[in-house]
Amino acid sequence: MALLEVTDLKVHFKTDDGIVKAVDGVSYTVESGQAMGIVGESGSGKSVSSLTVMGLTRFSSNAMISGSIRFDGRDLLAASDEDMRKLRGNDMAMIFQDPLSSLHPFYKIGDQLVEAIRAHRDVSKAQALDRTVEMLGLVGIPEPRRRVDSYPHEFSGGMRQRVMIAMALINDPKLLIADEPTTALDVTVQAQILDLIQRLQRELDTAIVMITHDLGVVAEVTDEIAVMYAGRVVEYAGKDTIFAAPEHPYTWGLLKSIPRLDSPRGEELVPIPGRPPSLIIKPSGCAFHPRCPYVREAHTKIDPQLAPAADAGNGGGHKHEVACLLPAQTRRALWAALRTGEVPEQVLEHVDVPETAVDKEAVGEVLAPAGTEVAEGVVAEGSAAEPAPEPATAPAGETEETPS
Amino acid sequence: MRRSVRWTLFVSVVTALAMFVAACGGSDNGGGGGGGSKTAAVQTKIAQGKKGGNLTYLAAGDVDYLDTGQTYYTFGYMVAYATNRMLYSFKPTDSIHPVPDLATGPPEISADNKTITVHIKPGIKYAPPVNRVVTTKDIKYAFERAFSKEVPSGYAGAYFSSIAGTPDKPNSGDVKPISGIETPDDTTIVFKLKTAEAPLVSQALVMPITTPVPEEYASKFDKSTPSKFDQYQSFTGPYMVKNDPTTGKVTGRVPGKSIEIVRNPNWDAKTDYRPAYLDSIKIEEGNDDLATASRRALNGQSTVCCDAGSPPAQVLKQALARQKNQVIFVASGGTRYIAFDTKVKPFDNINIRKAIIAASNRNALRLTRGGAILGDIATGWIPPGIPGFEEAGGLKQNTDLDYLANPNGDPAVSKKYMLAAKKDDPSLPIDANGKWSGGEKILTIATNADPGKKTAEVFQGQMQDLGFKLNFRIVPQDTLYTKFCGVPKQNVAICPNVGWFKDFADPQSMLDATFNGKNILQQGNVNWPQLNDPQINSAMKAASTTPVGTERNQAWAKIGHMIAEQAPAIPWIWDKTASVGSANVNQVVNGYDTAHDLNFTSIK
Amino acid sequence: MLPFIIRRLLWMVVLLLVISFLTYIIFYTLPAADPAALRAGRQPTPELLASIKKSLGLDKPWYIQYLKYLQRLVFHFDFGYSYQNQVSVKSQIFDRLPATAALAVGAAIVWLLIGIPVGIISAIKRGTWMDRIAMGGALVAISAPVYWLGLVSLYLFSKDLGKIPLFEGQGAYPSSGNIFTKPGEVIPALIMPWFVLAASFAAIYARFLRGNLLETMSEDYIRTARSKGLRERTVVFKHGVRSAITPIVTILGLDLGILLGGAILTETVFNIPGVGRLAFDAIQKSDLPTVQGTVLMGAFFIIILNLVVDVVYAFLDPRVRY
Repeated sequence: MALLEVTDLKVHFKTDDGIVKAVDGVSYTVESGQAMGIVGESGSGKSVSSLTVMGLTRFSSNAMISGSIRFDGRDLLAASDEDMRKLRGNDMAMIFQDPLSSLHPFYKIGDQLVEAIRAHRDVSKAQALDRTVEMLGLVGIPEPRRRVDSYPHEFSGGMRQRVMIAMALINDPKLLIADEPTTALDVTVQAQILDLIQRLQRELDTAIVMITHDLGVVAEVTDEIAVMYAGRVVEYAGKDTIFAAPEHPYTWGLLKSIPRLDSPRGEELVPIPGRPPSLIIKPSGCAFHPRCPYVREAHTKIDPQLAPAADAGNGGGHKHEVACLLPAQTRRALWAALRTGEVPEQVLEHVDVPETAVDKEAVGEVLAPAGTEVAEGVVAEGSAAEPAPEPATAPAGETEETPS
Repeated sequence: MRRSVRWTLFVSVVTALAMFVAACGGSDNGGGGGGGSKTAAVQTKIAQGKKGGNLTYLAAGDVDYLDTGQTYYTFGYMVAYATNRMLYSFKPTDSIHPVPDLATGPPEISADNKTITVHIKPGIKYAPPVNRVVTTKDIKYAFERAFSKEVPSGYAGAYFSSIAGTPDKPNSGDVKPISGIETPDDTTIVFKLKTAEAPLVSQALVMPITTPVPEEYASKFDKSTPSKFDQYQSFTGPYMVKNDPTTGKVTGRVPGKSIEIVRNPNWDAKTDYRPAYLDSIKIEEGNDDLATASRRALNGQSTVCCDAGSPPAQVLKQALARQKNQVIFVASGGTRYIAFDTKVKPFDNINIRKAIIAASNRNALRLTRGGAILGDIATGWIPPGIPGFEEAGGLKQNTDLDYLANPNGDPAVSKKYMLAAKKDDPSLPIDANGKWSGGEKILTIATNADPGKKTAEVFQGQMQDLGFKLNFRIVPQDTLYTKFCGVPKQNVAICPNVGWFKDFADPQSMLDATFNGKNILQQGNVNWPQLNDPQINSAMKAASTTPVGTERNQAWAKIGHMIAEQAPAIPWIWDKTASVGSANVNQVVNGYDTAHDLNFTSIK
Repeated sequence: MLPFIIRRLLWMVVLLLVISFLTYIIFYTLPAADPAALRAGRQPTPELLASIKKSLGLDKPWYIQYLKYLQRLVFHFDFGYSYQNQVSVKSQIFDRLPATAALAVGAAIVWLLIGIPVGIISAIKRGTWMDRIAMGGALVAISAPVYWLGLVSLYLFSKDLGKIPLFEGQGAYPSSGNIFTKPGEVIPALIMPWFVLAASFAAIYARFLRGNLLETMSEDYIRTARSKGLRERTVVFKHGVRSAITPIVTILGLDLGILLGGAILTETVFNIPGVGRLAFDAIQKSDLPTVQGTVLMGAFFIIILNLVVDVVYAFLDPRVRY
């Protein structure tokens, strides 16, 4: 049985501008001890889905949650607030992007860690302090016994993130969710933190969900990767498969926009044109179609579901699913061309993308044009209904994803 | 008989040189002379309540001085009248005929008018800590200290310099013996004068300067400038202000907060005409809000109000409707008027002054104070209750002058005088309708406190109707007197908030200081119009020595008319003050000082 | 920290000097009543006026007067004597200070006890009817002028005037003694004044705390606290309120400093013999020594409380260091 099973999770927020469909049918599983990466731009729903797993979305009064989340066999969505509280910081933990603002500025870090322990364990302050010192040592803080009396602002960024990690792991959780843990740190420190997470994962056998927009990060740490776009998982595969044989145009776009050691010299970096879509009025049919170089008429009408890719089983025991209407061969042909260094325009010159044929397994319901309420100017470029228009009450994590 | 003539003289001139009552637009103090005046001025009947009880007195301000050698405001006088005895004083029912207080009888005046002899009652004791019997030496010392710079008395020099041996410059040196005051024994005091002014001086013996002050106790305080005796005042009355029985330090007075008046344990009722019903009086200061304070008095128990004026019109109206017996009116014994400075253009022109008086609606002005219940429309400067009022024509005095005939104003008369002014001096900016067309603003200083402020504003409106533009400035009452209107150099053209209240119930006191040319001072001036008419001046000189009686009244009534003919100001109200008290209080007001008489007030 | 405090205390001395100088200048340039003439009564002879002037020291030029004043103040801590009644200014101020202090501190306790819980509840229950009523009520309390509120409360609740006689009214404060020597008389007399004075402050503090707390609750460390699995009550109070309340300390200090200079309006309506009344009467009577004394005292309190607030803030917020 998987440690964490998320099935068709939907998290919608009621706002004055309309209903923001932050997470619109997401499914994934995480096994014990495994590391999974969730990759996507800001506004893809990656943070919200994890916050919902932690139960933190319940604090927003305008959240509508449906679907299923099972953790260690328990149904989390049906669990009471008190039950969720007992799990948080105990069996499941989360660390966030900005460690300075994530730690309370007025309390010593030792106190904050002791607090994390005593929320779930009936131990004395002295015992909790001992454990705190132990954890601080484990995450690599020098002189931990002395530094428990320091305040957060007295640490460097990297140290603070280590403290956060210590705090998250202090009660031996089975699952650690890391939401952009290194985005606010500089590159060398980034590497250290990632190393630390990896090490701890192995030593403590903790399952990890690593959320990031940075493919480089997931390349290090994860076993499986879910690529999210507009509140959905659009591709799901083992790490190696994602990098070697991805089958979704969005994933291709992501890979093409970062430099790689194994790409030909002189290859241009190609950003994905356009901006993330409004989550209130999503594009009709395939949500990615406005930005997809390979879009066809049918793609504007049919909403693709996640379906197994043809090479399922290639990724060393991990499944490979993709939500794209392009026929499987077409996809592979396109990728083969792209990985030689061609840009999409060039690829389209010699790879034929059929007009009407679609990947049958990916077709779910044929949806009517996805527009529900149409608000004035909501879908326009640069309007308020764009990624950052998460409702003010949405957990802050989502709005912090900085678009590049 | 000489003696009886002197006595009549003494008695009828009524407290010549008595207490100064503050000349003011702000604080009102009712009272009035008796005489044959038609307007009821004093209480003729004193209700007798039970003995005992504690009274609360709600005041806005504080006494100016407890020191009887210096106090001169009514409020201070009210306290002094209850806590000390003078040679002569006034019962509340009669503000014209003083009665012997410390004295055994009327003053004995020598044939040559240069010597006054008074005997005092034996056995009158001071309150603790002085404790001993009062002697005439104490009265002598009281005079001596009042001439020193440590005790700057406002009237010692003015009225008693004729006593032999007084310093040439009063209040400029230390306390020195006065040779002209002799005390052949402990109960006799003899005043020897340099000039034959005994009648006048003897009348002045009602003033607080005659309150005895024990030298051996007070002299150490009188060494500081100013004297500290104010904090250690001695007491001879039925009451005293609570003090420390060993040092004499007055503990019952907390400046700005309260005064606690309690019985004087050494007072002997047999020696005094005062009944002293109350056991104690607590004066609570700081009650600036007359509306709340008067309501508290009306609806509460054993409380009276107020020192600072009548209750606001609303409260008064309600009180008269529902609690009529709790309101007392007393004539304030004074005139309020709007003064022109005759030395400042364009008010140097008599026709313009007459025109403005004619145009003024005095009824409207009176309404700002609360209307007819609070006073009569003034047509001159001798108010009801002052001898000379009837002789001047009573409520119709000076109404033979066309500009004073109509209390609502008479535009036709006004126009007539304006055009006359134009005819005399074509350079004046007056148009064919008799309206002023000049653009220059005329300096007018008004008070910032209601109702005076309202009165001034209404007057401003009336001036604007005539075409005048005013430079209308509003300042606090004290500033108005001490820095502006009382200082001729400031050239304030109009002072709408002035008034003059009797010094003593004699027409001279109403007209001399205020309209005699020789009384124009550079500071503290009260001849606000700066009237200096030689004919009026000499008439006043002659009338000042006219003996008391109808002849004197007629002489001064005539002067009053001469003044009105000069149109120096607009007289608009002879006002009354309303005092309110709780239902269980028998309020008694002393017609002489126009304040509550604490010696006669009682609880029902 | 210590050098910081010492610097601030030295600076305070400089400020007080400047203030005393300015007060003198203002007194002499703006037309007020002439104190000598006020004491002299009507128709004073020129000699009498001169004599009074001399005894009050007013015959010397203003800068000489100022220097003498400063000399007495600095070397003898002597504030001079009131022009009105020759009582020493220092004794009057110290005599009246307990009344003002009792009024100010008592009102502060009341407004904190009311304002803070209301602010917290409003923030937690944001948008509900509780929140709306509380904030609506706060708006009314802020808008109502304290003088009006005082009079209304007198007319409704005072024992001698009110429709529903419940509390001691105007003039109930005893003329001698203070809250320590006569608590039985002083405390009942101060109940209505406390609430009247506290009303607008409680409202301001409630609104302020509400806004602050709402902002604080959207901070990242609140999210962390929740993700640690802390009870929501702990999250709100130990993490949320603890942060939100620190600016309150700052404004509390400032408000207290100002009130200790004399809550003139409240003192007037209820006739409480405090320093505010003293200052007001002194200004009306052009009693410079008393005006000077009360101004300096008021300035002193404001400056000192500013300093106290800054120091306390350093203890509350470890990021602040001097």
